[in-house]
Amino acid sequence: MTAREGDSPAHDEPFLVERVRQGDGQAFGMLVERYSDQAFAVAYGFLQHAEDTEDLVQDAFIRALEKIDSLGRGSSFGPWFYRLLVNAALNRRKYLARRHTHEVPDAVAGHENPAADADRAELRRQLAGALSLLPADLETVVILHDLEGFKHPEIAKILGIPEGTCRSHLWKARRQLRERLQEHPKPD
Amino acid sequence: MAERHDDPPAIIEIEALRAPARSDAARQQLTERILAAAEPLLSLRREPVGWWDVLAGWAKPGLVAASLAFIIAAGALLTSRVGQRVAEPVTLDEVLALSESGEMPALLVSLNEPDAEAFAAAALMEGAPDADALESVNRGEINER
Repeated sequence: MTAREGDSPAHDEPFLVERVRQGDGQAFGMLVERYSDQAFAVAYGFLQHAEDTEDLVQDAFIRALEKIDSLGRGSSFGPWFYRLLVNAALNRRKYLARRHTHEVPDAVAGHENPAADADRAELRRQLAGALSLLPADLETVVILHDLEGFKHPEIAKILGIPEGTCRSHLWKARRQLRERLQEHPKPD
Repeated sequence: MAERHDDPPAIIEIEALRAPARSDAARQQLTERILAAAEPLLSLRREPVGWWDVLAGWAKPGLVAASLAFIIAAGALLTSRVGQRVAEPVTLDEVLALSESGEMPALLVSLNEPDAEAFAAAALMEGAPDADALESVNRGEINER
């Protein structure tokens, strides 16, 4: 089972959530183990910076713990948590943009060809820039769907929107993204 | 769920934005960070403190304080009653008593005000008082010699 199966959570999840409500650190640890990798991947899609992403994931889990009582009894933890994470990521990016502390995405390490590294870094910069110019709901859908492989029903549940709206968002997002990238052709 | 045919194709280049692979150590470190930050919040959720628990915590010192207050109050009350005790009246016979030698009667200390007649009688007597004189004094008669 993957952590992102938000519409079909593990059968023990409501039980884990109930134990977390009672302050059970082991149960909370199990939720963290289950969701932290996927949470990191999703948040990284928004922030493109590993350290900022780790901070954000930590904050999102703490926020989830603070608000765990607002999660309905028997409800799935995953979609609720991802919605919280996405909102936190969008807010964090706004905050970082205001402070001008997040200009350059992470460098890609491990390539032997410095020219290829530079090209890839430039592509990432362009993509990240184009993505961040999309409306927040379109950007979220494209990151969850195209980058992280969430399915429409999962995304619909996370964002609290109908599946049709989710598809429509993806369609618009891809089109706008393509137009923006065509304005700035990728490096050869 | 399968993509619909009219969905525009995904932008392949977007793969470049995917998070880099992370080492197990980095993942473990993040998990530990999260759990450490969560611990204070989790501990607040454990064993919620009810008002009865707060009262129970104060029960022992409260009982000790109440006992001390009772003892102090009782002591103060007793002391004030002793201070207010009024000396009981005594008769002249109890004040004047014959000495063993039959001479001058001994004047016993009394909490009562001195009896003026008894003093006067004692002052008027000369020499060793005889038994009759003392008897008369005891009866309250004053011998005018």
